[in-house]
Amino acid sequence: VPEVDAEAVAVCLLFSFRDAAHEAAVADELRRRHPGVHVVASHEVAPEFREYERASTTAVDAYLGPVLSRYLGALAKRCAGAGLVEPLVMRSSGGVASLAEAAAHPAWVLVSGPAAGAVGAAKVARAAGHDNAISLDMGGTSTDVCLIAGGEVARTGERSVGGLPVRLPTVDLHTVGAGGGSLVWRDSGGALRVGPESAGAEPGPACYGKGGTRATVTDANLVLGRLPERLAGGLVLDRAAAERALQSFDPAEVVELVNAEMLAALRVISVERGHDPRDFALVAFGGAGPLHACGLAEELEIGTVLVPAAAGVLSAVGLVASEERRDRVESYVRPLAEVGELPAEGEADLRYAGQSFELAIPLGGNLEERFHRAHEERYGYADRGRPVELVAVRTAETRPGPELVLPPANPLEVEGPEVVELEGATCWIPPGWVGVRDGTDSTLRLTKS
Amino acid sequence: VNIELQVIGSALRAVAEEMGAALVRSAFSANIKERRDCSSALFAPDGRMIAQAEHIPVHLGAMPDAVAAVMAHDPGPNDVFILNDPFTGGTHLPDITLVSRTPLGFAVTRAHHADVGGREPGSLPADSTTLEEEGVVIPPTRLDENALERLVGQMRNPEERRGDLRAQLAAHSLAERRIAELCARRGSELVLAAMDELYAYSERRVRAAIAALPDGRYEAGDFLEAVEGELELRARVTIAGEEISVDFAGTAPQHAGNLNCPLAVTRSAAYFVVRCLTDPDAPASGGAFAPVTVSAPEGSLVNARPPAAVAAGNVETSCRIADVLFAAFGQAIAVPAQGQGTMNNLTVGNERFTYYETIGGGQGACPDADGPSGVHVTMSNTLSTPVEALELAYPLRVRRHALRLGSGGEGAHRGGDGVVRELEALEPCRFSVVSERRARAPQGARGGGPALPGRNLLNGEELPAKVTGDLEPGDRLTIETPGGGGYGEPG
Repeated sequence: VPEVDAEAVAVCLLFSFRDAAHEAAVADELRRRHPGVHVVASHEVAPEFREYERASTTAVDAYLGPVLSRYLGALAKRCAGAGLVEPLVMRSSGGVASLAEAAAHPAWVLVSGPAAGAVGAAKVARAAGHDNAISLDMGGTSTDVCLIAGGEVARTGERSVGGLPVRLPTVDLHTVGAGGGSLVWRDSGGALRVGPESAGAEPGPACYGKGGTRATVTDANLVLGRLPERLAGGLVLDRAAAERALQSFDPAEVVELVNAEMLAALRVISVERGHDPRDFALVAFGGAGPLHACGLAEELEIGTVLVPAAAGVLSAVGLVASEERRDRVESYVRPLAEVGELPAEGEADLRYAGQSFELAIPLGGNLEERFHRAHEERYGYADRGRPVELVAVRTAETRPGPELVLPPANPLEVEGPEVVELEGATCWIPPGWVGVRDGTDSTLRLTKS
Repeated sequence: VNIELQVIGSALRAVAEEMGAALVRSAFSANIKERRDCSSALFAPDGRMIAQAEHIPVHLGAMPDAVAAVMAHDPGPNDVFILNDPFTGGTHLPDITLVSRTPLGFAVTRAHHADVGGREPGSLPADSTTLEEEGVVIPPTRLDENALERLVGQMRNPEERRGDLRAQLAAHSLAERRIAELCARRGSELVLAAMDELYAYSERRVRAAIAALPDGRYEAGDFLEAVEGELELRARVTIAGEEISVDFAGTAPQHAGNLNCPLAVTRSAAYFVVRCLTDPDAPASGGAFAPVTVSAPEGSLVNARPPAAVAAGNVETSCRIADVLFAAFGQAIAVPAQGQGTMNNLTVGNERFTYYETIGGGQGACPDADGPSGVHVTMSNTLSTPVEALELAYPLRVRRHALRLGSGGEGAHRGGDGVVRELEALEPCRFSVVSERRARAPQGARGGGPALPGRNLLNGEELPAKVTGDLEPGDRLTIETPGGGGYGEPG
């Protein structure tokens, strides 16, 4: 083992997903020689096939380790001082874990915020009687969308973070760089463009009156009459400034274009993965989600849009109500026929022997046949003569979170066109849509009239 | 610009991307599934390229020829055509192209197959002199089950070939479905108008970018390392207003080896360089290349005629064309120093398996940054096969895969380092190495130093730049790839 001068060290040896003995020995020796150094071995964080993705995941984990553990340690101390219980930490998988677990492996918590939003959306959808839904979380700079099937948020085994592959269970969020603060511009080919550059919080959209002069999506919504003069937080919007900024742009086109970006994202997680969006409800939240939801639903022929009263803070709702979750992965990379008994619940990553990408098939029943069918659905063909290979088995140990009951909101029945103001968000009901809140819960249901 | 057309245009681009993703994810050979050596595109009914998923630069300008070749056969609505003939729409034989009719226009996929028959496993012999030696030559042919079986029967590992072709076909049925949906939702008229607009839009953007370049005529030359000696490549670039013309007059005649390029490959390399230096983000439709004309003397190395062997033209000569053009443009504007300038093609196989990879090296330093190390430069844009994937699938062991430290050129900004990759054979097999920049090093720019040239070794003994031979169990083949040149005087 070479001498090192570092705050953290990541160790990744070839084939450690099969046999971790050598890798563990290297990590142990490093820890013995450098007790103050944060050492992470790849089999501890992501014992999976493919050294590049595994090493990248381990490096991300080791790099963030010292920072996150210092931060979470300080947070725990302050909580204890204030008489609060030790907080739990949301992971990318959409489940919470203890503070110590989160501090040990930061790569698991990279997208915890957006994951919480998707979990919150799943709760809202289920409470409204929709087990199948798509979450639409549109904020100031970006929009996250996620598919929810059977009441569960969709998960995936890998995500790219800052250009690096991180091979860990994560809520399958698809993100586009389009939000309320996205700047509107015209490119050298004469095309109207929205984002990915954003006006951010400072100066923010022109209508915020904080010195912004460039047009944003929020400015377009204001000029189109879809925002109130005063936002829920008390900010008074400057319509004249928005109009000045939009001088050479048509606000309706701006909205159509930003909707097109979000539609593309919604199609990726639904149509491209073999789901018909018409079978889903759309849960809109984030400051700007409920402004655009009906337009998007119309394009995808989605019949129901759900807007929670807590649209501005739905991620927090998700955090409160999350289950505890510990994911495990075991790598096989062996013919399925040679593998013995598998756990009853969880997912198997399967592929045809010779392929490189796997399809995740829920465990139980005739796995092989369900893989053939899934392959046919996804790629248009199945090859029943070809052996099927089991790459990995993913299981999760979960403990349900607290039962969440949101206070019912006042009954409401509105017909579009109408603007409904919510806590931290604004909902636009276009002509032809009606919104109903029946007084039993806090969710506004929007349907075509 | 009409916003609805713009929205449909993005949908068309998304379809091309989705086709590429489906192909990669359901393919079987490492070269397609791990390294993503494939491309996909949509074409308008009149044969203009509308959207290409940009995976491989060398496929950029070469696809329209494939569609033109198939259109000459008057394809019906459900027809899928297959071809690889470099002189009727192809590039080199391992690149198999499928062209199908969609409800509106054409869909195209091109994938580099690990073997297409011929003399050597992997179909990239180092020393072929005729096209026939390099594999099965497929003129545009209707692809049905019979044709598919007949063709894969002439290739090694027919099982894998069949799987890869099915993956290509899957991408085509996806395109058909998506275009049908789009036409149903928006109407064919509007989709057609969106195709026109996407083409025109790319053209406007690239024209605007070319207009910003200084007008003038710039010339450069460089050499290829053929078995029989050096071959000269010369190019003259003329920038005039919004247009660029590239002429290869003065380039060596086609030779008896396989460094020859069909004009389609030459065009791809020229388009790639123009794209890098003008508006790399303009959508990759044919319009982006409309302002660029490419000419080359017939029968020259860069516009070869049958029955020239072309295996290395697509992979090696294309890199040198890019180098020469960057050097010419470098007289007008700041361009990066030379990168490794080769793909270091390595093929290993026997009658049971074939494995093909290209190996990354140093990228040239830029005016404002060091060159990255261990990456594919210019005309290749592939990933490295993970060691674990390679060793689980093939009777090979990776003994070393490391950066070749110090191989990048010195400079105010350093060139990237090359790579050392050492493979050990675990069973008897054949190997071919097709590489360049073994004698002439990649050069620095504006006072930056040259990189180290590459080396090929068998059990420690140096091999030539282009070599085919046998491996016995325990034999070790080592490829040391070139670094990239430095930029500016070292400080």
